[in-house]
Parts: sequence; C-alpha cells; structure tokens
Amino acid sequence: MAEKYSEKILSRSIDPATHEMLARAEELGLETAWERYEAQLPQCGFGELGICCRNCNMGPCRISPFEDGPKLGVCGATADIIVARNLIRMIAAGAAAHSDHGRDIAHTLLLTAEGKGGGYEIKDEAKLNALAAEYGIETEGRSKEEIALDLARAVYAEFGKQEGPIQFTRRAPEKRVALWQSLGIDPRGIDREIVEIMHRTHIGVDNDPVNLILQGLKASVSDGWGGSMVATELSDVLFGTPTPVRSEANLGVLKADQVNIVAHGHEPTLSEMIVAAAQDPDMLALAEKQGAKGINVVGMCCTGNEIVMRHGIPIAGNFLQQELAVITGAVEAIIVDVQCIMPALGALTGCFHTKFISTSPKAKFPGATHIEFHEERAFEIAKDIVRAAVENYALRKPDMVRIPDEKMECVVGFSVEAIVSALGGTLDPLLDAIKGGAIKGIGAVVGCNSVKVQHDYGHVRLLEELIKNDVLIVTTGCNAIAAAKAGLMLPEAAERCGEGLKAVCKALGVPPVLHMGSCVDISRILVACAAIANALGVDISDLPAAGAAPEWMSEKAVSIGAYVVSSGVFTVLGTVPPVLGSPVVTEVLTQGANDVVGAAFAVETDPFKAAQLMIDHINVKRQALGI
Amino acid sequence: MAPTRYVIVGGSAAGMAAAQAIRELDSHGAITVLSAEADPPYYRPLIPFIVDGRKTAGEIGLLGQGPYTAQDIDVRLDAAVTTVDTQAHAVTVHDAETISYDKLLVATGSRPYIPSSIQGTDAPGVYALRTLADARSMAERANTTLDAVMAGGGMLNLKAAFALLERGLGVTLVVTSPEVLSQVMEPDGAALIRDGLERAGLRILTGRSVTQIVAGPDGVTGVLLDSGEELSCEIVCIGKGVRPNVEFLAGSGVRVEQGIVADTHTACNTPDTYTAGDVAVTFDPITGKRMMTALWTNAVEMGRCAGRNMAGRPTAYGGTFGILNATQVAETPFVSMGIVHTTGTDYETHVFQADDVYRKLTFTADGERLVGAVFVGEIARAGLYRHLIRERVQLNGLKAAVVEHRLHYGDFLRL
Amino acid sequence: MKEIFVHVDRCLGCRTCEIACAVEHSQSKSLFGAISEHPTPKRRLFVEWVAPEFKFPVLCRHCEDAPCMHACISGAISRTPEGVIITDEAKCIGCWTCVMVCPYGVIGRHLETHTAYRCDRCPDQGEPACVSACPTGALVYRTVPEFSTSVRQAAAAEMVAGEGAAALPFVSEGAAALPFVSEGAAALPFVSEGG
Repeated sequence: MAEKYSEKILSRSIDPATHEMLARAEELGLETAWERYEAQLPQCGFGELGICCRNCNMGPCRISPFEDGPKLGVCGATADIIVARNLIRMIAAGAAAHSDHGRDIAHTLLLTAEGKGGGYEIKDEAKLNALAAEYGIETEGRSKEEIALDLARAVYAEFGKQEGPIQFTRRAPEKRVALWQSLGIDPRGIDREIVEIMHRTHIGVDNDPVNLILQGLKASVSDGWGGSMVATELSDVLFGTPTPVRSEANLGVLKADQVNIVAHGHEPTLSEMIVAAAQDPDMLALAEKQGAKGINVVGMCCTGNEIVMRHGIPIAGNFLQQELAVITGAVEAIIVDVQCIMPALGALTGCFHTKFISTSPKAKFPGATHIEFHEERAFEIAKDIVRAAVENYALRKPDMVRIPDEKMECVVGFSVEAIVSALGGTLDPLLDAIKGGAIKGIGAVVGCNSVKVQHDYGHVRLLEELIKNDVLIVTTGCNAIAAAKAGLMLPEAAERCGEGLKAVCKALGVPPVLHMGSCVDISRILVACAAIANALGVDISDLPAAGAAPEWMSEKAVSIGAYVVSSGVFTVLGTVPPVLGSPVVTEVLTQGANDVVGAAFAVETDPFKAAQLMIDHINVKRQALGI
Repeated sequence: MAPTRYVIVGGSAAGMAAAQAIRELDSHGAITVLSAEADPPYYRPLIPFIVDGRKTAGEIGLLGQGPYTAQDIDVRLDAAVTTVDTQAHAVTVHDAETISYDKLLVATGSRPYIPSSIQGTDAPGVYALRTLADARSMAERANTTLDAVMAGGGMLNLKAAFALLERGLGVTLVVTSPEVLSQVMEPDGAALIRDGLERAGLRILTGRSVTQIVAGPDGVTGVLLDSGEELSCEIVCIGKGVRPNVEFLAGSGVRVEQGIVADTHTACNTPDTYTAGDVAVTFDPITGKRMMTALWTNAVEMGRCAGRNMAGRPTAYGGTFGILNATQVAETPFVSMGIVHTTGTDYETHVFQADDVYRKLTFTADGERLVGAVFVGEIARAGLYRHLIRERVQLNGLKAAVVEHRLHYGDFLRL
Repeated sequence: MKEIFVHVDRCLGCRTCEIACAVEHSQSKSLFGAISEHPTPKRRLFVEWVAPEFKFPVLCRHCEDAPCMHACISGAISRTPEGVIITDEAKCIGCWTCVMVCPYGVIGRHLETHTAYRCDRCPDQGEPACVSACPTGALVYRTVPEFSTSVRQAAAAEMVAGEGAAALPFVSEGAAALPFVSEGAAALPFVSEGG
C-alpha cells in the first residue's frame, strides 16, 4: 500500500525507507538532521565562501566578497590565503582521521603478532607475505607471527617518519611518483605532513595559496597512498581480503524477532569482534532466553561496509539514516567507534530503549554508555557489549517498532584481488573491454550523504547515467550503500546499462557497480588504477577514468578528493566546497591543477550534468590514448 | 467654510477610533463624542485588571494613550442619546438637549446578554463584566467573596476568571459546550489551553449550564446547574454574549437588522449616517456572509474606516473575520482567526499537535487558499497568516511553509 | 525620518545584525556580558532564508498606519514624535493581538515578562545597532528620498550601460546571482546555471 508522504518528506530523499522513517519521526515529534539543517538556515555566507578566518585571536576576520569592505585580515591575509589555509586544514583533519584509523589497524596487527590481540587472527597469509615482500621483509621459513611483527613495526614506522618515501606510494606508476617528486609533494611521513599543514596554516607562516595547496596535496597523498592504504591492507591481513558475497541493504534488514545490533563507525577491529561475539553460543543462548530468535548484527556507514565486504553482514543504511535506524524502535544497541557518528544519537536513543554505546577513548558522546574497547581483550569486551544489547531486548516496546519493509539484495566484496579473480586472473579482459569500447571507462563514485542534497538522489542518478553510458563503476562508502539500496549491485542491474557494459557484466556475472569497500578502501581504487595504468604503460592521469563525490560533506572527503586528483583522476564534487571566496584557489582547483597534477576538480550539483562532465572527460582520455 | 460638525454616539473603541481618524484628516472639524458612561473612554478589554487591582482606572484611560493623541475632541460623559432625527440631522441627549450634526456615527456598541434561562439574575453579586462601573463593583464585592462561578467559557469570562483567581477566590467555570473557548476553536485545540487553565487553579465544568441563582440577604449565595449540582458562591459572572444597543434608533429611519446595517463604506441607509463597532452589521471577507463582531480590534478598525469616510476620504471597509482572537491564558498564548470550526465541512485542514503546541490551518476545499488558523503555544508571526486569509492569497509554493508554521516575511518577497 | 532598508544582494546571512541587536538591548551592552544575562537579551530582527539563495533580514517597518497600534487593546503601542512605533512594556498585558495583526511577523514575545517587544530603532545610538554592525552594508539607514535616489542612480547607470535593470525596486547595483562576481562577468566555468 503506497502511503502518501508530504512534499517535504519526499523532497528530502529518494529512498522509500527514509520516507517512511521521516514520517515516523514526524509522528513521534522527533528531530532529525534535516530539521536541524532547516533551523540553521540561512547559513553564514562568509563561511560558505571560506572567507572567515579564526586562526588567531586578533580575529575572527572576514573578507568582504563585495567591491567594498575589508579585503585583508588583521595580519594582512587575503581571501586567497584564508581560503587556502581553511581548505588544507580540512585536508589535515580528513587525512588525520583516515591515518589514525590506519594506525589503529597497524597497532592491532602488532598486538596480534605479539600474541596479545584479544581474539584477532591473521586470516590472509598470502597478503601478509606480499606486503612483507613489499617492505623487504624476509618471509622464507618464518611463522606468520614473525612476519606480521616485522610488517606491523615497519608500517607503524611510516607514521612517525621524518623522511620518505612511504612505501605504498611506490605502487603508483613511476611517472606519477616522479611527478610528485618534481612537485615536492612526495610525502615524507604520514603524521609529518599533517603536522606541517597545522604549522603552515598558523598565523604568519605560509601565505602563498599555491604553496599551501601543494602541502595539502602532499598530506592527502600521505593519506590515500599512506594511512588509508595501511588501513585497507592490514585489515585484509587481519580479517581477510574480500571476495564476492551476497547480502542486503536498507533498514528492512532489521528484524522484528531478533536482537538488533547496529555497528556504526569505521574500524573493523571493533565490528569484526561484534560479529564474532554475536555468533558465540553463549550469546545466542542468552538471546533465546530473552525470547529473541537470534542476534542480528547490521552495519551502518563504513564499518558496515567493512563487515558486508568480508562477511555479507547486512547494511542498515548510510550516513543520513543513522537516526532513522534508531527511530525504528527495534535497535537494542547502536555501537560506535569513530567518525561520522552524530552526537544527536544520545538524545535520540533516550527516546527509545536503544543503548548508545561508545567504545573509543577518542570518541565520547553525550548520552552514550562508554564501554572502552581494548584490542588486548577484544573478544571479551565485544561479548560484554553484545551481552548488554541482548539483555536490552526485554526492554523493547513492541508497539514502538516500525521497521520499513525495504531492503535490497546486493553482491559486494570486490577487492582488487576479487576483481582480478573474476576477470580470470588478469586484468586483460577488462583492458580489452576498455580498449574495444564495450566499457568506455571507469567511474569511481564515492562519498558521504549531505542534507544539502536530496538523500541518495545525487548518488543514484549519477550512477544510473554513467552505467547507461557504459562506464563501469567502482564505489565505496555511503555511495556504495546507496547503490546497493537502489538495486545497482545486483547482476540484474546489467539490464540498466548501455549495451557494451551490459554484455561485459553478463559475461562476467558481476554487477555494473562494484562495491570496493569503506572510505579507506578508496585506496583499493588507487591500486586498481595503478595496476591498469602500469598494464597500459601510462600514468593514471591518462586513464579513461573519472571520480565523483555527489553528496560529500566530511573533511575526510576533502582529503580523498585531494589525493584522487593528486593521483591524476578528474573529480566532480556534488556540493559546493567553501572556496568560492577566492577566485585564485577556485581557479587552481578547477583549472590550474590540470597543469600541475594532470587532473582537476569540477563542481556540479546536478547529477545528470555531472555525469556528462565525467563522460566527456573519459572520451577525451580515450581519444588521447587512441582507443 | 464652516467647520464640519461630527457627532459620534458612543465613546468606546469604534467611536474614539473614528474620532482619532477624523482629527488626523480634518484639523478644523468640531468633533463631539457622546458617551452614556460616567467614566471617560477607557480600554474596555482591560477591566478585568481593575478587578484584580493590577491596573487603576486612570491607567486604562484611552485619551492620550496609544494612538489616541488627537487634540480638541469634545468627549461628553453621562450623555446617553435617546433619539436620532436623521431628517433634521440632530440627536437628543437624555430626552432634553438637542445636538446638530453634519456627519453622525452611531457606535453605541453592545451590552451583555443575560439569558432568560437563568433565574434570579437581579440579585446583588451577579455581574456581566462590561463596564468600568461593573469592574469596580465586582472588585469591591470580591473583598467579601470566597467563591465565584463564571457562567460561560468565552474569552471575557476567562479573563475575569483569572482576575478573580488573582484575588484569591475559588473560581469555577461552568461551560455549556463540551469544551472551553468553543466559540473560537474546536475542542482539540482548546485541550492544551484547558490544561493550562486547570493548572492555574481554575475549576472547569463542561456540558452544564447555570439555571438558577440562589440569593440571600447579602446577595448571591450559590447557583444551581441543569445537572442538579449546586455550587456555593458569592459572585456570579455571566459571559453569554452581547446584544447591540439599537433600541434608541426606533423610528429614526436607520435600518436595523439585529444590528445597524452598513454598506461597504460603513454608511447607513440614511444620509450622513455611519456606523461601526459591535452595533454594526458587517461582513466576513472569507465567506462573504453578514455578521456582527464583538472584538475591540475589529471595532477600532471599523471605527477608523468610518472616521475616514466621514472626513471625506472614501475608504472601503475590508470586513472582519468572525474570529480574530489573541490572548495568553495562564502560561499558554493562543491566536485564533478566520474559519476554525471545520467539523462536517469540506475545508481542508492540517492539524499538528505536540506536548505544548497545537496548530490548525484551514484551507479552502481545493487547498489553494488559507481561510483559518489556530495557534496555541507557538504564535510567532501570526500576523502573516492573517494577511494570507484576509487577502485571499493563492498559496502555491507557500503552502508547505504555512502548514509547518515556518512562514516568514521573506517568503512574500519574490526575489 | 530615516528607515532601515535592505540591499538584498548584499546579505550573506551572517546574522551579525541579530547579535548586535540583542547586545544593544542587553544590560551590559557587551557580547560577553549579554550571553550570561537573565532574561537573555532578545534580537528584534530576523534573518530569513528565501529559497533558493537569498537571505533577508526582516524587522519592524514602523508603519505610518501601524496595524499593531490600532489593534492594541491596552494602549501600550504608540508613536514617538520621531515616528518610531514603541511598545510600552509597563502597559503591555501580553495579549498578542499585535502579533496577530502584524503583517511582517516581527513582533516578539518575551517569555519571561509576558510582554511584546519589537525594534525600537536604538534610540540611544546615532544609528541602529544592526546597521552599524552589518559587515557588508546590506542594512542601510536612510530617508526614503535618499534611498530611492541611490536606487534610481544605480538603475539609471545600468540602463544607460545597456545591461538591463534588475527587476526589484530595492536592490542596488547589479544583482548577480553570486555575490562576488563582478558586473558583466560570466558565471565561473565550473558552476552550472541553477546549480
């Protein structure tokens, strides 16, 4: 029975599950991110333009965007300097988030290798050995723990290095590395580049917008080919490299007759243990005693992506749906670690029986119960957390439960290794398809949700346009979840493609939109690009590829955009970044970057037009390659 | 040319507003206001504050306060007009003095209606709070009163009830309808207000009526209800509506149908005669139907319009909503305007209710125009909604903002 | 009498005017003091969002024929000799009739004192606080003839230059969609129309 939703609700999202829960929120008088956004309007134009500086206490300074008014901050900074400083601080924050995540994974590997990991194992020995080889670590005749110990230490060292190179950056094509070196943006150490951003943006340090931006790019490279890649690779070592697996996505994965646990946040070190603990016979028995038919762990956001990729654990939704999951009234516990977790969950869970459990000493929230997660006792603590959730089942109010009947099947798990395997062991079939034109190019569509864009509209429409035009999609993060919910990750989605792509997908039995994982797993996309570029003997910037972040909002996304462009891939942003206050910075990002790193940004809020920009770009690259 | 002689019968809202408007346009005319009351013109809605002592008679005087800054208006007190001779253009005061006019405004207002279904209303201690004199008397009697019964749950009686509560009396409100304020909103909206009233100490009995007033040597001692209940009290305040003061116009030739009939420019059928306020029959711009209003705001508006017409500046009267009420009762403010009684009609309504907020928006059946609004608890920017109703604005893209009570002036600017 | 006019194309929605207004109507007259006062100082103007891209401060127009003044049932609203409409808090009984009739929705309701309040044109200052505080000159304090003259002059210049005048009567020189784009410049290449 189709319900009639108000214009307001329909305009907020294209996802029917979201419509249903927004109506439910209204019914219950609950505020969501959308209402808070409306209350914020109008947002300050100085901020929107990036021309507000709060870096010192002689401010806060504002540059006037009009012909009259102050053009300089108190220290003499121009709009260009202020915008550039603000921008690279966003990169610093984003890179820091990703890199800290990587650091935590490396730390977990270290503990595991030392035998102190509370339940962690080394699952992918092949990858362990391959990485060890990359680092020049001897593997012959050694136990995996010994190898892992050396690898963990070597990777850990990447963070505190003063001089480069960061090992993984050398996976990029030689031409690309040479370019970075010539530009002075070949990173020296993961933490160092972020620290230098903070130094340079302090009052009275770097006051050259281009110089500032270059340091921003450098730090972003230390993220994409550094911190993020560390996170991806070492997660694969610990938890297994993803292979194709079937699962489901959207709020309908919550189950009315089971204990529902939402794992939200980013680091698989936590979510993997929650999944394991939920399968423990003691926990299952406890659940049965509570009257539940089982324990249903579901993921949200990137940690959801991690566990769906490796275990097919269902995903309840993406960033903007986190409150809606709680509003179903069916969640016993929402367990979080770091990043993209709304503090609003504190008050919201208070309206339900739901327990909001924080686990990271770095991430505490109002209204949350803090059960600190230590890797040394990982499984034990995970069981405590799961137990708390199971015991909470008795407090669920059945008449408050509204689970939307919306979920979509999907096929996920396309690590680079899995893609190569699907192709029969080499990239050749893919390269042939690209050369022959059945696949025009690759689209890397990633990124968050934002209340500034109709939820999932930017993502799904862009994907639909691209695949109609025979562009194969690799995706991560909240975009991947949107794609899954929209049915684009089913092999049947081939029917929605252009003829060329359709044929390839059918032949290989893969969907046209390949889920490559969480946001740190964009490093997988970099690895794939490097592999393809090397196979073709070109630089990444020569590839018929384009990137897009149609609904981005986080600082992590800024870092990602920066490293994707620094790696040579044209990237279209779907929400306007706070740079328009500086024509110079805007020009550098959208035009000048082409001459520097061989790629640039475009800003296009209309997904159809964004698709066209990407397709045109791909065609230009094809022509240049002579294919 | 000789100064025009303006004579205004009635010294309350409509009359004084007209006098002010005339003076703004005509600095030479002779303006005479004939008031039947002994007190100089005052803000009638404030008389409950005389009862609880929060305001003195001097503080609620009209002249020199608010917009009433005009000079040289001859206000004569205790000057009840007994006959009007529209042919001779003259009025008679107390059957004795004759005053000629060039332009006449009849703004004699209304008096409280005492239903004949209530027996014993002539006992001392029974009030229909209308005049300053009534208020003084009630204030005095409150000194020796323990309990009061308010017969009727309309706006005026509610205010009087609060004044008596302030004086420390036990107050019971007896309401015939199923809910308070039934004249200005439907029961679901009044529920929040009722909660506020009860929390403030008012005892409310609905679905009942007072039938009999019981009195002793010192006046009222109690009332009997149609339910059989008996309530003891020393003050009874009757708030059962008003009737227009038109009796004195018999034989004058001025057309009276319940109230004095006015055209679109507040003019009566007889030459140089105008009418405004509670005594006049006006119309509701939403429905087009004829109606009479008993609201200060409407009386002022119509009075100003009449004054302008009398001073030679033709001004059409925009009519008045049947319902246009705003007040704060206990801690809960509310605003009610236009068409708010919608049960059994085909108006499109949108109701929103939360813990301490209620709103109802009434639209035409085709959903294109706003015709009524009730805001309880959250009343910000209510004037914008009145504008929409009054100007019969086609809502188009504004409708969502109206329904959600987030309309703001910027929405009217097509930038 | 001077009025407060708005240059729509200059408002960035920073709300400095709202803060300045509240501070001016506080006891301490400083921001740091104002934020700890009880009751909290109230702003009298409201920056509203006019979708899709405009921000607009709305405040009391001090109407010549003020509906609020006539509707007030307690005589609390009057007009000063300078022409400013004021609400006398001592007389206000908090009935909100003025709120009900104000066509701009700019009369506020003081929750602590149960009285109505609105813009008073900052009688203690030479220029209203909001106008002084506005960082972009979106709020201006001019007489009607002065303001109209400036609009006419800008419009005349535009018409002579053949650019085509903006449709709005109170918008000054060249209302482009993006505030920093100079007259005649095309929209920046990467932003699509209506994006």
